[in-house]
Amino acid sequence: MMKKGFLVFLTVAAMAFGFPFSAAAEEGVTDKEIHIGQWGPQTGPAAAWGSVARGTDAYFKMINADGGINGRQLIHHMFDDAYDPAKTVAGVKELQEGKGMFAWVSGVGTAPGLAVKDYLMNKKIPWVGPSAGSLHWITPPQKYLFAVYPLYEIEAKALVRYAVEKLGKKKIAIVYQNDDYGKNGVQGAAEELARLKMKLVAEVPVQLTDSDLKPHVMQLKTSEADAVLLWTSVKHAVMTIGTSAAMQFAPQFLSTSTCSDFPMMMSISKGLWKGVIAATFAELPDSKSPLMAKYKKDAFDKFAAKDERWGLFYYAGIVFSEPLVEGIKRCGKDLTREKFVSEMEKLKDFQGISGKISYKPFDANDPFSRQGQNQTTLLKCIEGGAAERLTDWMTIQ
Amino acid sequence: MNMKRVYYEDVRFFTSGVVFFWFVALLLFLAAFPFLFKNYYVYVANYIAINVIVAIGLNILVGYTGQISLGHAGFFAIGAYGTLVLMTKAHLPFLVALPLSALVAALFGFLLGLPALRLEGPYLAIATLGFGMTVTQVIGRVGFFGGRQGLHAPELSIGPWNLSTDRDFYYLLITITILLTLAARNIIKTRVGRSFIAIRDADIAAETMGVNLVFYKTLSFALSAFYTGVAGGLYAFVLRYIEPEIFTLLRSIMFLSMVVVGGLGSIMGSVAGACLLSWMDLQLRNILNIPYLGEWLKTLSQSFFSITGVSNIQFILYGLIMILIMLFEPLGIFGIWIRTKKYWKMWPF
Amino acid sequence: MLNFLQMIVNGMAAGSTYALMGLAMVIIYKTTEVPNFTQGEMALLSSYLTYMFLDQYGVPYHVVFPAALVFAFVLGCVLEFVVLRRAKEPNILGMIVITIGLEMILMGFVSWKFGADQKTMPFPITPYDSVVIGKVFISTLELLTMGMVLLLMTGLFVFLRYSKLGIAMKATQQNDVAARLMGIRTDRIRMATWGISSTVGCTAGLLISSIVMQPYMMWDPLLKGFAAAVMGGMTSLPGAVFGAYMLGIIENLFGGYISIEFKSVVAFAIIVLVLCVKPSGLFARHYVKKV
Repeated sequence: MMKKGFLVFLTVAAMAFGFPFSAAAEEGVTDKEIHIGQWGPQTGPAAAWGSVARGTDAYFKMINADGGINGRQLIHHMFDDAYDPAKTVAGVKELQEGKGMFAWVSGVGTAPGLAVKDYLMNKKIPWVGPSAGSLHWITPPQKYLFAVYPLYEIEAKALVRYAVEKLGKKKIAIVYQNDDYGKNGVQGAAEELARLKMKLVAEVPVQLTDSDLKPHVMQLKTSEADAVLLWTSVKHAVMTIGTSAAMQFAPQFLSTSTCSDFPMMMSISKGLWKGVIAATFAELPDSKSPLMAKYKKDAFDKFAAKDERWGLFYYAGIVFSEPLVEGIKRCGKDLTREKFVSEMEKLKDFQGISGKISYKPFDANDPFSRQGQNQTTLLKCIEGGAAERLTDWMTIQ
Repeated sequence: MNMKRVYYEDVRFFTSGVVFFWFVALLLFLAAFPFLFKNYYVYVANYIAINVIVAIGLNILVGYTGQISLGHAGFFAIGAYGTLVLMTKAHLPFLVALPLSALVAALFGFLLGLPALRLEGPYLAIATLGFGMTVTQVIGRVGFFGGRQGLHAPELSIGPWNLSTDRDFYYLLITITILLTLAARNIIKTRVGRSFIAIRDADIAAETMGVNLVFYKTLSFALSAFYTGVAGGLYAFVLRYIEPEIFTLLRSIMFLSMVVVGGLGSIMGSVAGACLLSWMDLQLRNILNIPYLGEWLKTLSQSFFSITGVSNIQFILYGLIMILIMLFEPLGIFGIWIRTKKYWKMWPF
Repeated sequence: MLNFLQMIVNGMAAGSTYALMGLAMVIIYKTTEVPNFTQGEMALLSSYLTYMFLDQYGVPYHVVFPAALVFAFVLGCVLEFVVLRRAKEPNILGMIVITIGLEMILMGFVSWKFGADQKTMPFPITPYDSVVIGKVFISTLELLTMGMVLLLMTGLFVFLRYSKLGIAMKATQQNDVAARLMGIRTDRIRMATWGISSTVGCTAGLLISSIVMQPYMMWDPLLKGFAAAVMGGMTSLPGAVFGAYMLGIIENLFGGYISIEFKSVVAFAIIVLVLCVKPSGLFARHYVKKV
């Protein structure tokens, strides 16, 4: 009883003191500006993912050049965390408590993300589009966390389904990075195969530091797999294919969105990537879609540094922040976090340069109320690193 | 003038009133710190305090006993995982779980100390390095420890206090840090510490003088591991989330650098080395936001380097500072401090 | 049986790269007693510059590769001359920290100049072709690597044992002061050592770069090479090569028959066991320091 009374008192107090202030100006929002934060590894072992944050930066600059959102400019604060959770926490705290961010966008990596998740959620700060297709973001779902990246399970299921049903493969094996990313892939593949009354013929883990994949390919070869899923980093995917070629083992290789940047994959595999099928979450770099062409012309050509590449990771930074921008747009002039969340929940089949994105009103028991994109599309790498689209956007639950 | 004539002078805590004054001033400053600075700096202070504990622990091994270790990230991991697992799975209170897991780390330190009895130099480096890597790999594999998904820290409360903010945790952490620092200083002044130093200077001579090598070498490993374990357990609550990839070889190398840059065989040196290197570790990412300098670096990158890699300047700077300190003073920051003190002693003559 | 043979061959192939790094580590350790953590990054810088000339300026192979080796030699000499020689009253830990600092500088420089994107170096032979002996595969690149290892090992062995410079190096290691009294300019010897070591590392870097290049690519070979050198005794060239092949074969057999996840850890566990029995490695004479 005492407790209840105290709560009532707190609510009254909050209404008396808190509300007038918070209604006047939300943190990180002024008449002219909206402050958005983002972290991304520009250095360290995961630095290849750093272009995500730079992509978002160019995208925001494009929006600002077009006049901003409802008269406000997007101010993008990004920092380098070197994929070290301690630095992610430091940077997020510094920006959030120093300058005050309205929301956070993207943010590469499962471990850095998990290290700040509770901090952001306790402070009720919206966070849109973590750049990792992990189940952690939506189990349990968080009111202020909106996942965009399709789950790795979805990609695994789509690839397996295609390999079995369209290509008629009988023995599927997987090479996976021994972490969250890889294990999600194994889980998705195993579930889909169980549905088809089949089993993985080999599950081969790769450590991030491995520099010799011979034993791994040996295992694949002895399993006589005719289709191999590559749930690894770019480097290991290339090495697996190369080692397989050297050992004259030639199954159909299928890979994830991480390795779906075909021009780059073709160049570092010295042409071996040809024929590989990959799942992806966004349009192709040379897509004819008008929106993609606009981003290329107005964001990349104008605002990217001269040694930047219009690759998948770069415009992934745009993919992850499109829903955020749409949500802010829909809020109109008076922008608060609560309003932003309710507008995000109303997104239905919103399509930018990725698959369709929808959210549902918050439901603690429904993870998919916070998983925006459940679509993936399959591509095949053809001559010169170009891509042939094998399927349309597929929705998989 | 400055000679020590009786044993008491060597072991007593405050050698003069001045030292006492500065000690009290430091304590007051540390107590007031959270009120003087923003919460972000409190977090930074917590991070630094963790590294201070590790550096002191490692210095007992490296600086005082003369053994090298590239595996301290392993003890760090054992402390962190031990504390969290004991708290979440065995429901022990924090103040029990922390020393228990540090004791587990100490046990592993003792075990690692056994092969170390016969090894030295690069051989010992590789053996300890192997230990550190094994710990990370095993933890990453075992589902009980959360595997590669990591573990979240539970709510932390001690008695009636709920330590949920950085500020609350700061007081706990800083108290433990000060206690451990003083303890280390006292250990070094005792029979145990003198045995360590004797082993470092000449192990065979020490043995002939009656120092039990087996006992003291393994003790040094265990003690060092205990410190690191405590730091690991506390670190889990600074970050509130741990996963195996945090405890890599790079971290072990970092720890070793702190000790050496700070000054081998000096507690205050370790504190200084840990403060400097971990502060740079967190702060250097802002180097491009410094007015003028940041702009200049960006233009430089645009014309000669890649602008996408411009953040790597922080590594260059970090390495440079480390090298410069070591080039000019083999005793690191502590050596520089001694020299400055000597230089000003007779000033202005 | 066939699998077993294939695993042995694979292990030797993997071991070749470790062997090159191990050799490079041993050369420096022999004269200065410093485990050199910059080794990998010296090779990294040479490889990336080679890549730049090949890929961006289109300089032909027969010019670039020899030039890379010369550059690596000069780089090693310069680092020793500019940085390590300047250390005042160095102790070994201090020197280790200096090499770690150098490592960070070179790594930072390479990532700054070339970015973090994965690249691949054009190479005269494709790394993905293989030769079949019986039913056992070995890729041409690996054959080349093995050839390089044998060539360098014998070359260095002969050089260190019979040439004047080699003997001077040995003298420098054994007793610096005495060597100086005999008229050996030990500073120069050390500089040459760094140069030679950097050249050997550079061959490893070039061979690795023909697959995938990224700033962190030299870490794993460096550690494995270091481990192999320690197993072989840290001062013995054939020991380092033997250790490297052992390491590669153990990793492959363990990965093939028991658990692929723990293969790199097992290698270290075995090294610890070896060291427990022979504390100075397999090939070095264990001598106890006098008081």
